Amino acid sequence: MNLARRLSFLSLFLLSGNLIAAELVAPDFSIEKAIDHYIQARLTERQVQPAPAADDCTLVRRTSLDLQGRIPTVTETKQFVDSTDADKRVKLVDAMLASPDFAYHFRNQLDTLLMLGQNGAPGEWREYLLKSARQNRPWNLMFRDMLIGNEDDPEAKGATAFVRVRAKELDELTNDTSSIFFGVNVSCAKCHDHPLVEDWKQDHYFGMASFFQRTYVTKKNGIAEKFSGEVKFKTTKGEDKIAKLMFLTGTTIEEPVIQVSAEEKKKQDEEVKKQTQDDKAGPPPIPPFSPRTKLVEVALQSGNDQFFARAIVNRIWAMYLGRGLVHPLDQMHSGNPASHPELLEWLSRDLIQHQFDLRRLVRGIVLSQTYARSSEWNASSEPPAADIFAVALVRPLSPRQYSMSLRIASSSPEAYKPATEDWQKRRDDLERSCEGFANQFELPGENFQVGVDEALLFSNSPQFTDDYLRDSGDRLVGVIKAQPDRGAQINTAYWSALSRAPSADEVAACEQFMAKRTEPVAGLRQMVWALLTSPELRFNH
Amino acid sequence: MTTADPTKFKVAKTARVKGIAMCVANLPGTQRLFFGSSDFKVYEIDMAAEKPQPVEFTGEGHQSYVTGAALAGNVLVTGSYDGRLIWWDIEKREPIRSVQAHGKWIRNVIASPDGKVIASVADDMLCKLWDAASGNPLQTLVEHKPMTPHHFPSMLFAVAFSPDSQLLATGDKVGHIAVWDAASGKKVSELEAPVMYTWDPKQRRHSIGGIRSLAFTADGKQVAAGGIGTIGNIDHLDGPSRVEIFDWAAKTRVHEISDTKFKGLVEQIVFPKSGNWFVCAGGDNGGFASFYDSQTGKVVHQDKVPMHVHKFVLNDTQDTLFAAGHDQIAVVEFKAVPAAPAETPATAS
Amino acid sequence: MVNTRFCGSPDHGVTRRSFLSVPAIAGVSAFAANMRIMDALKNPCLAGELKRQQKSVILLWLGGGASQFETWDPKPGRPTGGPFRSIATDIPSVQISELMPKMAQRLKTTAIIRSLNTRNADHGGGTSLMETGRAVEAAIDYPDLGALIARELGRADSQVPDYVSMYSETEGRHKGGAGFLGARYAPTFLTESMIPPNIRRQESLADVDHQERADLQKLLAKRFSDKRYNASVASHGMAYERVRGIMASEKLFDINQEPQTARDFYGPTQFQEQCLIARRLVEAGVPFVKVARAWWDSHGQNFETHLELCADLDQGMSALLDDLKQRGLLDSTLVITLAEFGRTPNINASLGRDHFASAWSCTLSGCGVKGGAVYGKTDPDGHKVEEGEMKSGDLFATIFAALGIDYKKEYHVGARPIPIVDFGCKPVTEILA
Repeated sequence: MNLARRLSFLSLFLLSGNLIAAELVAPDFSIEKAIDHYIQARLTERQVQPAPAADDCTLVRRTSLDLQGRIPTVTETKQFVDSTDADKRVKLVDAMLASPDFAYHFRNQLDTLLMLGQNGAPGEWREYLLKSARQNRPWNLMFRDMLIGNEDDPEAKGATAFVRVRAKELDELTNDTSSIFFGVNVSCAKCHDHPLVEDWKQDHYFGMASFFQRTYVTKKNGIAEKFSGEVKFKTTKGEDKIAKLMFLTGTTIEEPVIQVSAEEKKKQDEEVKKQTQDDKAGPPPIPPFSPRTKLVEVALQSGNDQFFARAIVNRIWAMYLGRGLVHPLDQMHSGNPASHPELLEWLSRDLIQHQFDLRRLVRGIVLSQTYARSSEWNASSEPPAADIFAVALVRPLSPRQYSMSLRIASSSPEAYKPATEDWQKRRDDLERSCEGFANQFELPGENFQVGVDEALLFSNSPQFTDDYLRDSGDRLVGVIKAQPDRGAQINTAYWSALSRAPSADEVAACEQFMAKRTEPVAGLRQMVWALLTSPELRFNH
Repeated sequence: MTTADPTKFKVAKTARVKGIAMCVANLPGTQRLFFGSSDFKVYEIDMAAEKPQPVEFTGEGHQSYVTGAALAGNVLVTGSYDGRLIWWDIEKREPIRSVQAHGKWIRNVIASPDGKVIASVADDMLCKLWDAASGNPLQTLVEHKPMTPHHFPSMLFAVAFSPDSQLLATGDKVGHIAVWDAASGKKVSELEAPVMYTWDPKQRRHSIGGIRSLAFTADGKQVAAGGIGTIGNIDHLDGPSRVEIFDWAAKTRVHEISDTKFKGLVEQIVFPKSGNWFVCAGGDNGGFASFYDSQTGKVVHQDKVPMHVHKFVLNDTQDTLFAAGHDQIAVVEFKAVPAAPAETPATAS
Repeated sequence: MVNTRFCGSPDHGVTRRSFLSVPAIAGVSAFAANMRIMDALKNPCLAGELKRQQKSVILLWLGGGASQFETWDPKPGRPTGGPFRSIATDIPSVQISELMPKMAQRLKTTAIIRSLNTRNADHGGGTSLMETGRAVEAAIDYPDLGALIARELGRADSQVPDYVSMYSETEGRHKGGAGFLGARYAPTFLTESMIPPNIRRQESLADVDHQERADLQKLLAKRFSDKRYNASVASHGMAYERVRGIMASEKLFDINQEPQTARDFYGPTQFQEQCLIARRLVEAGVPFVKVARAWWDSHGQNFETHLELCADLDQGMSALLDDLKQRGLLDSTLVITLAEFGRTPNINASLGRDHFASAWSCTLSGCGVKGGAVYGKTDPDGHKVEEGEMKSGDLFATIFAALGIDYKKEYHVGARPIPIVDFGCKPVTEILA
């Protein structure tokens, strides 16, 4: 395929947003209204009757997991369920967004998104993310911080860990940047023009790599750029080629020609060498031309920023709805259109118009009816396709969500009091104390499966029994063993672990189980075990 | 009277050879050397020549690395990993006799100082004594265990005669040493040097090391064992070179020398007929020779040799050593008074 | 929704693909795909097919890199050959190193590959390459051989683990993993202890309580799971359903269950004991067992190292093959003896050999293998491959073909098709039965 045709493919994909723009619903629609408008349009077109709204118990649990990173306490759940305020959902969401919990959880989500669950990022990195989440720092500015942040500023240095931990692997830096910020996995295009996707050619891969080619890590573990250096590659036809600085849209950057004498060149090379070997070297020299800075400029320039906006909109959407509007998330190209292209356009436009305010986007999503649907499918027909969002998708908890939720579920309902003044500190402690247990779990990726190792851990590890099933007064087992009758015990356990009242069947099953137990406290422990290991706790539903 | 001064250490000459020279013998009064090689062959080389050239022995030879060479008068006896001992006529450079001596690798072959007896040690864990003249078997000394405590095959690397030819010492992979009455074949003492054997139970789960060399002091009262100290990463010979000296009758250790200046195996130890020093050599990827005071165990002199030394021999005036090693033969002089006008070190190919 | 095409159709891959991945192609319902997963797991037709196969793999992993010269491709008398002789075998035209005397009498069960050229002579890179059959790629986390085999040969409802990996030495210890196949296929990883973690019931809990507690959990979970058509939720239920079976398999790891004669037959070393455990596991239906025998990285004292380790390997491997044969399991068990690379022709000054990936060897024994075959040839000094060069992907294709797994099948990660073996790789039919 010739270049012209290739470009036309690309531009079709990119311009499609503008073509549709004329038909988009008004920008002054609220986000939630726009979402429901477009989602409903597709449901109507497909003649699918969506699942009903989730009940209050389910909704408060879901919202808390998504905004606070943990199940709600019994008090939080009941407060919402019992409220008769017509506006209670908006108030709930706003309260949660303003809570200390939100920043912690959103930080964790961003950390997973940006570091892909790898360890090795320094403490400053998570501090930077936490601060950004608290301040609701715009996403475009975060992108800038991460790619070209000021290394001399100790506070900003955390952000550049994004580049630093990848700087030794050009492929990783290229792939991850493309995939995370632009939704484009170009890795296939390294070895050959992408076999399935017309848009991605070797020129794109190596063009993106060129922005990072000169990046290096100094002996002092800072990042810097060399004065010169190009990416050379062999095309599939065997031709040797020097890559241009090329953004994914095909926009290329010409490096200004600066004449450098051989002597100067040698001096520059020596200085760079010194930076990589000497931990007492001064600050690294700053070359007149910085490819990484150019990447930030070109990616955020008007027109190209749609790319950047779409990718994060899609990722945030998937975080809360269980699946991207474009799915998989790193396959945003003309061969893989969005399920709701207009909605993606509308949300991207809105994000740009509102200075990349992610919290605003999150708020809109969780206030939509689409978000609030039940995850149960009661109809006799086959469940509808996932990409029309007619029923809420069940999502596995992240390791941290799971660990913290287990902690809350297995504790006395009075143990955690988010409304109190010292909650930020307590939340911080909770986060830390749950880290060790969380580390035993895999980060859920696509097609996540629970392994038997996890089931064995819960079934047989002394750690689980000793910690989560203890019968001291600060624990759920300890609380219910002091309760007068079986019904109360079962009721408390259900509210605590599953954020709801038990059904009559469930009460009967538990009573029957308990009736056969010879040691009552041991029996309660076993009953609580059955609730803590429930899929209903393991998943956000 | 000696003309030796270890501090005058000098690599006087080297000759490059094919393969790895594993063992060496010297015809007294000359610089004629006989060495065995990893190319399965036995060679003579005259290091007195301006450009020493190895000359190959002919006839039915060995089938594996040649690891032991001993001169008994005008007869050369070599041993090999093929388990054979071969008696050679050194003038015709042809075999006289070939004996299937051991069921496993022969690790060393030596002659008694009186020239009457040949001793061989092998991985069948036997030491065998042979009549040097007839090749008839005299004794089989059974002592060393065939398996290590960790269920691997053990190895018997080292053997030495006392200067009076009456005693014999043998030493194995796990650091066990036996001292024998050569004539009767009776064991007269046992010694242990367990540090020579590094067993890695955790990281790599196999072993390295072993007693690689033995030597009696001039008075025959002490026996020295050489090898390598404890190794952290047994993928490499990355441990201190090590010598332990025992009063074998009292079964006490007199000296323990753990030398980190030069790392690797001590492949050979020699006590001169007179003098208050002894010399050992060996190596890791490089080679070394170290002279120690035989009374105190302190370093007299130590230096690099251009290659890992597998075996060496002292000349009859005890002021020169001829070393066989990786790709090379080296002549190292340590003469108090230069016997001849100084030669410039030369390398012959 | 029974997929009637499944049995009898050569295209078994269709349903199997949906096992793994929710197709991203617009219009295909993920829910429908998930339903199909569940159906496939419960489909007696599929279960029957897998059960009939009952094939297993034992990988003897020679971590650190065993020398081809001292094992399968000796070069006696050559400058590079080292001191060991080669010896005659039960195949008249084939000789191997004298360090493998027992295997020399068992080559009728075994095919030797002497022509691996894998190019990566770094421990980490070589290990990853030989574990996954392809080079590391930043964007895709590839599953290793164990996970692939567990996925292809394991039964979804298996009562035993389907990927057990033993690696007792600490050097080069590497868990490996299921990559994009997910935790369901991750190894049960045994290091210091041969008892898998959390496999034993706590004494404070009676067996009946353990059982009834699980029954209650299942009953309560059902209400949730029944109305949610989701493969992850289903996997949760399946993981818990497997717990009791896996616990019952604890005794499989205990060689004290074997009579002393059997233990003596294998020998006393840790590796030999683990070979016996491997046989016990395979006999009980575990589809993939890895026994790592590290650490062969003989930069110094190559010959002494191989004297020790080959003795260990020769005894353990030959006992394993004999035992499998006696029990009628060898026809359905493929034993792979493999390292991350071989060792240099050059013998260094420490009498060691260094890393070498240009011309080295491995063996395949048992299931699907033409015993006695020797594939590929190196030059007289072992510097390079002269005939039949094989990459890691070719080896993987051969392994799959020996087991009857279609080496051309593809998985999907998102929209991206991932062939089960690397692009352009194919099996070596000359060594297949």
